[in-house]
Formats: sequence, C-alpha cells, structure tokens
Amino acid sequence: MKPFDPRLLRTVPAVRAPIAALTAVGVLSGALTVATAFALSALVVAVVEGAPVGTPALWLAALFAARALLAAGSDIVSAWAGAAVSTRLRSALLRAWGRLPAERRPDPDTAVTLATSGATAVEPYAARYLPTLLTAALVPGLAIATLAVVDWPSAVIVVLTLPLLPVFAVLIGKATQTSTERRWVALAQLSGHFLDVVRGLPTLVGYGRAGHQVGVVKEVSERHRSATMATLRIAFLSSAALELLASISVAIVAVVVGLRLSWGTMSLGAGLVAILLSPEAYWPIRRVGAEFHSAAGGAVALDAILAHLEAPNAACEGALSGAPVRSTPNAALVEVEGVEYRYAAELAPVLRDLTLRLAPGLTVVTGPSGVGKSTLLELLAGLRTPTRGTVTAPAAHLVTQRPFIPAGTVRAAVTLGAPRPIPSIDVSASPMSRGMTSTRDEAVWEALRRVGLDGVVAALPGSLDAPLGDDGFGLSAGQRQRIALARASLCTEPLVLLDEPTAHLDGDAAEQAHALIAELAERRVVVAVTHRPELLRLADHHVHLEPVHGPATELRAEVRR
Amino acid sequence: MTARSPHAVVLTSRQGAPDLRPPRRQDRRAGVARPAPGIVKGGVLGGIASASGMALTATSGWLIVRAAERPIILTLMTAIVAVRAFGIARPVFRYWERLVSHDAALALLARRRWAAYDALIPLTPARLGRRRRSDVLAGVVDDLDDVVDAQVRVTVPVISSVVAGGLAILLTSWLAPAVGLVLSALAVGIALVCVVAYRLESRSLAELLAARAEVMRVSELMTSQATDLHAVGGWPTAMGWLDDAQRTLTTATRRQSIGRATASAAFLLLVGGAVVLTAVVVWPLALAAPVKALLLLTPVAVSEVITPLTDAMRALARATGSAARIDALLGLEPAVGPGGTTDLPATTGAPRLTARGLTASWTGGRTDVGPIALDVPAGSRVALTGPNGSGKSTLLAVLARHLEPTGGTVGWDGVDVTDLLTACVRDQVAIVDDLPHVFASTLRANLTLARPGATDAEVRDALRRAGLSPLLAALPAGLDTRLGEGGRGLSGGERARIAIARALLSRRPVILLDEPVAHLDPPTATAVLTDLLTADPEPGPHPTIVMATHRPEGLSLFDQVVTMQRPPE
Repeated sequence: MKPFDPRLLRTVPAVRAPIAALTAVGVLSGALTVATAFALSALVVAVVEGAPVGTPALWLAALFAARALLAAGSDIVSAWAGAAVSTRLRSALLRAWGRLPAERRPDPDTAVTLATSGATAVEPYAARYLPTLLTAALVPGLAIATLAVVDWPSAVIVVLTLPLLPVFAVLIGKATQTSTERRWVALAQLSGHFLDVVRGLPTLVGYGRAGHQVGVVKEVSERHRSATMATLRIAFLSSAALELLASISVAIVAVVVGLRLSWGTMSLGAGLVAILLSPEAYWPIRRVGAEFHSAAGGAVALDAILAHLEAPNAACEGALSGAPVRSTPNAALVEVEGVEYRYAAELAPVLRDLTLRLAPGLTVVTGPSGVGKSTLLELLAGLRTPTRGTVTAPAAHLVTQRPFIPAGTVRAAVTLGAPRPIPSIDVSASPMSRGMTSTRDEAVWEALRRVGLDGVVAALPGSLDAPLGDDGFGLSAGQRQRIALARASLCTEPLVLLDEPTAHLDGDAAEQAHALIAELAERRVVVAVTHRPELLRLADHHVHLEPVHGPATELRAEVRR
Repeated sequence: MTARSPHAVVLTSRQGAPDLRPPRRQDRRAGVARPAPGIVKGGVLGGIASASGMALTATSGWLIVRAAERPIILTLMTAIVAVRAFGIARPVFRYWERLVSHDAALALLARRRWAAYDALIPLTPARLGRRRRSDVLAGVVDDLDDVVDAQVRVTVPVISSVVAGGLAILLTSWLAPAVGLVLSALAVGIALVCVVAYRLESRSLAELLAARAEVMRVSELMTSQATDLHAVGGWPTAMGWLDDAQRTLTTATRRQSIGRATASAAFLLLVGGAVVLTAVVVWPLALAAPVKALLLLTPVAVSEVITPLTDAMRALARATGSAARIDALLGLEPAVGPGGTTDLPATTGAPRLTARGLTASWTGGRTDVGPIALDVPAGSRVALTGPNGSGKSTLLAVLARHLEPTGGTVGWDGVDVTDLLTACVRDQVAIVDDLPHVFASTLRANLTLARPGATDAEVRDALRRAGLSPLLAALPAGLDTRLGEGGRGLSGGERARIAIARALLSRRPVILLDEPVAHLDPPTATAVLTDLLTADPEPGPHPTIVMATHRPEGLSLFDQVVTMQRPPE
C-alpha cells in the first residue's frame, strides 16, 4: 500500500485545501521545533555559566507560547481536515453513483458500507495519519539541514544512521511476513466471529441456539486473545527494535559530541543543539509506522472509494451494447425499440424484443403479473438501461408501487423533486380560504386538494409542517399513493409514469385520482400500469403485454388505439 | 416437545415484572477507567519506561555539560553507562508494558463480551428496539470495544504519568527542593487541564454522535433508495440533505477538537512555564553546573510523558458514553417473563391461534397494536396488511411470545399463552424477518442451527422447498460452501430464501414471517412467496403461517388477508 495516494488529490480536488493547510502546519511546527532547540540550549548555557537568563528565558517562553498556539491550531486543522476529506469523498461518491442507472451501481451492501463507514474510516487517515506523514517528510529534513549548519559531523552521523530505520523496518517485515499474514487471516475470522453471532442473535434466540453460543463466544474470545497477542508481540517487538536503533543512533551523536566537548573542539551551545535536534530526525519516521497501523482501515476504504470514483468514467467510455439514446428534447417522442432487459446476466430476460411507440395522452399498460410492466416503466424513466435495444424518452417522473416518502414534513414530502418555484396551477377554483403564505404553499394545497388529502392535512397539527416519520411511518398505502400523485402533479417532467397508482384507493378517492391522471395526460405523456378497468376506460391508448410461450419466451406488445 | 432451549434457564432465573423499567442507575464515570487485573502492572511498567525517557534527557544534559568542563574521560564513564542504560530501558519497558496491558485488556474484553452476550439473550429481540436490531447489536460490540480500549488508552497512560511524574518530583526534590515544588505545581496544572479537556470532550460528544448518525442515515437512505429518489427527481434534494448533515458534522467535529486543542496548548504552556521557572530557580543555586543542566532539562522531558494524555481524555469521554449505553441496554428487564407453569399439550399438529381484544406495546407507553381479534385455524395461512404503524410486527411479536400482551388474550389451541411456559411456546415458532442474518459459516451450519442434527438430505429438502436448489447447484462446495462475511455473497432474495429454508427445516408448527420480501424487487418477491406457499408439503401436517406485509405480491395465495388499522391514539 502506498503511503499517500496522489489519486486522492486528482479525483477529489475539494480535498486539496485541507491537505494544503496540514502541510502549512507541518512546516511551521518543524521550524518552531528547531527554534526551540536553539532557545533551550541558550538557556542551559546561560544557567550553567551563570550568565543572565532573561533573554533566552523570554525567547523560550515566547517559543513555547507559539508552539502552544500552533499545537491548538494543528489539532483544529487536523480535525477539520479529517471531516472535510471524509465528507467530500462521501459527497463525490454519492454524486458519482447518482449519475448511474440502477444496474451499473454497486450492489446495495457495498454501496451502503462505502458511503457510511467507508468514508468515515478515511477520517482518522486524514486527521491523524496524513499530518504525521507530512511531519515525517518535513521535520527530519529541517533538523538535519540545521545540524549541517550548526555542527556538520553530527549531521553526517544522522544522515548515515537514519536510513537504517526504514531498512530495518523492511527487514523485520520480510522476516515475519508469512507468519503475520497467516495470523491476520485467522485474526480477522476470530474478531469477526463475535460481531457475527451478536448481529445474528435474534435468529439464534429464535431457534433456541443462543445459550449454546455463550460457550462458543467464551472459547473464541480466548482464542482471539492469544491470536491477537501473537500478532501484537511482533508489532511491538519491531517498534521496540526501531526505537532502540534510534536511541543507539542518538547515543552515537552524543558520544561524539561528548568527546569533542572534552577535547575542547566544540562549544557547549553547539553540542546541546546537536543533542536536542538529532532525536527530531528519528521519531517522526517511527511515528508514521504506528499511525499507519491505526489508519490502515482508512487507507483500504480510501482505495475502494477512489476505485469507485474513477470507475464510472471508464464505464461511460466503453458504452455497453444497446446503451440508450436518451433525453430527447422532443417531449412527444417516447420510443422503445427491440429492448431486452435482464436483472442479471445469468437470469432469464424480463423483457425481450419489445418495440413500442407511445403517443401523447394517457397510455395504460396491462398484462399478467411478472411480465415486466414495472421494469418497462423504470426503463422509460431512465433508471435502468436496456441490456439490448434502445429507449428514447424525455425527462420522466415515476410514481412507483410503494412511493418513497422522506422523513420530514408533509410539505417536504409533496414537493420532493418539484422544481423551484413550483409552476403555477390555476387556483381560482380553489375553495381554500385559510391564510396561505406563499404561492408555493398554494400550489401544494391545490395538489393535495386534487387528490382529496387537503382536509386530512389541514386537520393535522401543523398542517403542511406536520412531521412524517421515517419512510412515511403512519401513512396508509392509499395516503401514500395520493401524496405521490399530488407530487406528480407538481412536477414538470414531460413524461409521467405511474405504477399501479390507484391500487390502494377506492370510491371517491380513486375517482378523484383517475380524474387527475386524465387531466395530467392532457398536457403530458402519461403511462400508467394498472389493473383497474376504470382507469383503462379513460385511456387514449392501451398496451397489453403478454408472455408468448415457447422455447424463446418472446414478449408481444399489443397496441390498441 | 418439552426440550427446553438453554436460555429458558436464564429466563426462569430472572424474577420480575415484564414491564419496562428505567435502566439501573450506575455511576460509570469512575468505573470506565478502573484498572482491570494486570493493568496496574502495565501502568507501572509504562511509568518506568516514561521515567527512563526523562532520565535519558536529563542525564544526557548532565553528561554534555560535564564533558564541556573537560574532565578526565574516565569520570564520565558512570554517566555514559547510565545514558546507555536509560536508552535501552525505555524501549524494553515500553515493549513489556504494551504486552502486559494489551494482554490484560484482551482478557477483560473476552470476559465482558461473554457477559454482555449472556445478558443480551433474554433481551432479544423485543428490548433491542423495533427496527435495525442488527445495528443496535453491532453498536453493543463497538461500545464494548470502546470501554475496554479505555484500559489501554486511559488507565495505563494515567498510571504511567503518575509514576514517572512522582519519580521526577522525588529526585528533583532531593537535588533541589525548589525544583521539586515547580514540578509538583506542573503536575497539578496537568491534572487540571485533563479535567477541563475531559469536560470539553464529553460536552461535544453527544452533539457529534447525533451529527454522525444523521450523516449515516442520509447516506444510507441515498444508497438504498437511490432508484426511488431518482424516480421522482428527488436526488438533488437528497444531495441537499447530505450537504446539510455533513456541514453539521464538520461543525461538530471542529467543536469537539477544541477540547483536544485546549489540552495540547495548555500542556505546552505549562511545560514552557515550568522550564523558565526552573531556570530562574536553579540559576542562583550553589549547585554544580551539570546538575543545573539536569534539573533544567527534566521539565522539558515531561512533555513527552504527558502527550498521550490528550488522547486519553478523548478516549475516556467516549468510553464513558459507551458504558452508559451498554448499562442502559443491559439493565433492561426482559420483555416477557418465564410465563406460566403449564407445559404445552403434546399435540403433533399445528396449533390454532386466536386473539381476543389483544393490545400490546413495545415501550409500555402507547399502544402499538389493537385491540384486535384474530382467528388463525390450524395449518392455515394468514396475511396481515395495513399501514405502517398498524401493528403488524407487534402482533407477530406477541404471537411469538417475544412481547407480553398488555390487554386481551392470545390463545394457543384454546389455552391462554401466558399460562404456558414461555420457552415451550417459543420452541414451537419459527420466525423469518425482513433482514435475515446469514452467519459467516457453511451453508449447512446456517440451516442446521434451526434443528441441530438434521441430516444432509433434510437440509437439501428444505433448500429445495425454499427455491434454493439452483443456488445449491451453483455452489462450488455444496453444503460446505462458506457464506456470509468473508464467504460467498448472497442476493437479497437468496437471504430471504435461506431464512425460509431454516424455518422449514426447523419443522416448527408455526411460521411467522415479518415483511420477508420488503427489500426485494417485485418479481423476486413474488417468486419467493410463491415458492414458500406452494411448496409441496412435507409429510405430516401443514404449519400455521402468519405473514405481515405491506406489499400486494402473493396475497392471493393466502387463506385469509387481515387488514389492520392503526390503534387509536
């Protein structure tokens, strides 16, 4: 794994600012560390020689104050950078997926994991590991350069011994690689076990197997402990070895300085500076190793996220066969030509060789269950791309069988996806006389009135501001459909697709909804999948889909005027 | 029939009302950092390592200044040996400390995991909240890790700092009492800063966790409901929600960093002040120059010792919050008591289930279902539909004896279930929920947990009846193929079918399905339900099947469809 992946800067330019800020803090802290070594040496020299301590003491106090300010700033900048990098990656990821049709998006489990915990795991990587890496890249160089000026023999010793650290680290890594890898696999299984049996606890309790697992948990936890300790022992040993190596290197500097001091070929001040600065060349490099270990999860997640961010572009280049010619500005042109659709390569096609040309007005699609009616609507909406053939359609608004209702207010649910400002609806017919605040709210009330929900909403505490639970908690299936229809009437897309829009409505509510659908069809192309004869009677066109039995189940579309 | 599951013992040993009680009050503030066995040893070893580091800096200073006085080299030998010894002691003791403290922490983790698991069993599932139980449980795992982490991240550095600081104060007081006083004042200052930092961290923690949870909620919504959002053109709006949530999170993160920033800055100011003060105090003293250097460099070395304390205060704040959450959850009483004393009548067939005027509640507050009357004849299939919040899942939980009725009765072949042993009733019921868990184990083990001792032929038969023959045929190692985390991935439909196969294999006479196809696309949902309800029956009686669903697929396959209403407020 690379210590820093430059793709991060290239793929998500928004993270450049936080990383630049971290670099600036790193440079400043390096400079202050060097300055502190000088001030401290001056103070020690003043104290042991009985010279006035005022000036060096003031300098030291000022430097410590500056370092305190910088430390505080560095903590705040690091935290901000961590949050900024992870949130910007998450936004970029979701924005990229938002542009993809359903079948090109990663499977839901992967997507949820990457967008939630994956992006979060990058936070410690950016907040802790990157600053350490920058310090390690800057401070040793600065310390050595200063040493070269103040006392070049010490600088030579540091330059000669410093490379031993990474060499030694690599040697230790090589020597323990096989056993470490074997242990990591075992460790991952053992540490995953507890999470697995805890997450599955409802199932285990359901089948009376949970009590049995208590003993297993006990045993596996013990095995996890010994396996972890075996892995940690190696990690701790190698970090101790590196510390020892650094200590010996500093000791060499100290011995040489001591000898030269006793021979009188060096000043005390220079000697102290050399002693104080040389450890600064070693410790940042050791810390990178330690921090990298704790940020390793973030680095893996970052890798996966960057792969996903780069992939969509690649996928667009090599257009799939049968990629649709979409988003025609011609609102009246809705065409399906020779379309086949498979949910997965190994599954039989849901639609096969389907050709349709839809005219303005209301088209009702009927057909037996499982014939691919909902899939057809999703293809027309551009949410899926056909496996074969082409779909040509303008921007569409699709009302699914169980329409999505976001948590929030009634107003937010009805206006989700509606353009701002909402197109004016003729409200002269509206009998609403309550104090309406804005034309936007007027349009919302009008839309609710058209689906017969105005009375229900007005009776709610807070009316339009009444809260709706997660996923429309508390709404009946019929209310959900009516809210979705109200939403469809507020949208401006030239193509409206309705999947069983009135399945849960009856009586007046259904009649009202059917009238609204017919009215929508006067201005736009409306395609409705339905089993209801009342809606079919209002249709301008009727498409009946039927599976044609035979060796190749071919779909036949029957279009009637 | 009377075989009791092991957890029945746990249940019967718990006396107490089945209603929800407030969590047991325990002040955990001190408890989190209280050393586990072995941790004190780790802390002392860490203290020796830290003290060696300080001694290394101080004696190096002594050595350099003494050398500058150009003595005979031999007189420096003791100091040179001391410097080397301290240089070696620091990594050696640090290594030892880490081994000891991590081993102690892992032993504690093992104990706490086992104990928490045991305590969770009687609380599962009703006390884990109504939705996303798997996430609640995963939260327990994380919280336990945080709590145990506090031993290594808080207790050890605090003990180490105290030991090293104490040694430094003792030695400097012996050489120059005034410097000892300066260092004591420094120690007091550091302790105060720690308290302030802990307060700042704790204060911003709740806000940060809430902000993080909201970001998680929105990003999960956007990934799992992407198609629905795009369908209505709501994606840009959702991006707006994400931006808002992330902005709040960034602000909360920045606010939280103030605690840590304050501690880092205050530590440096304190150390800087102590160094200057020491210089002023030492300057006029009649001490040898090398000793003066040693005294002056001692407070400088404190800096290295106390650096881990900034992280320690953050870890302490987090662990305190985690411990409070664990205690609140594990302190709950089980939702259902041991029940009556009557064993089930030794029937062989599926029971007839009835409900009369039944009401129930998850929290003991508002009524979540009913009053409802229900009659499920033995071996029949009933679908429950109705809006969200009408109590479909609640009714299933009562039928499964996971939730106590608050009013009315549930009859099991005419006997009031509260008169029957809870464990016996539960042994008769198989549950399939909307997010079935697939264990990281073989396909066989994933099924036989429902009936240990089932033969391979029986397992294959259950798979076939759940429509999983094609999957089995495609698996490289057949029943021995590893599934779940690290194994073969499964589609949502396959997971639902595995849960159904478990229920069929268990041969339990009652199968309750809670939105089994809620997360599947319509064709898959229809296929799964058709396979379940039209599967050729195994020899013997049909199980009684009750399914809650909000979707229209497959309803025609049921004997009875019950539409439920939201209970009156």
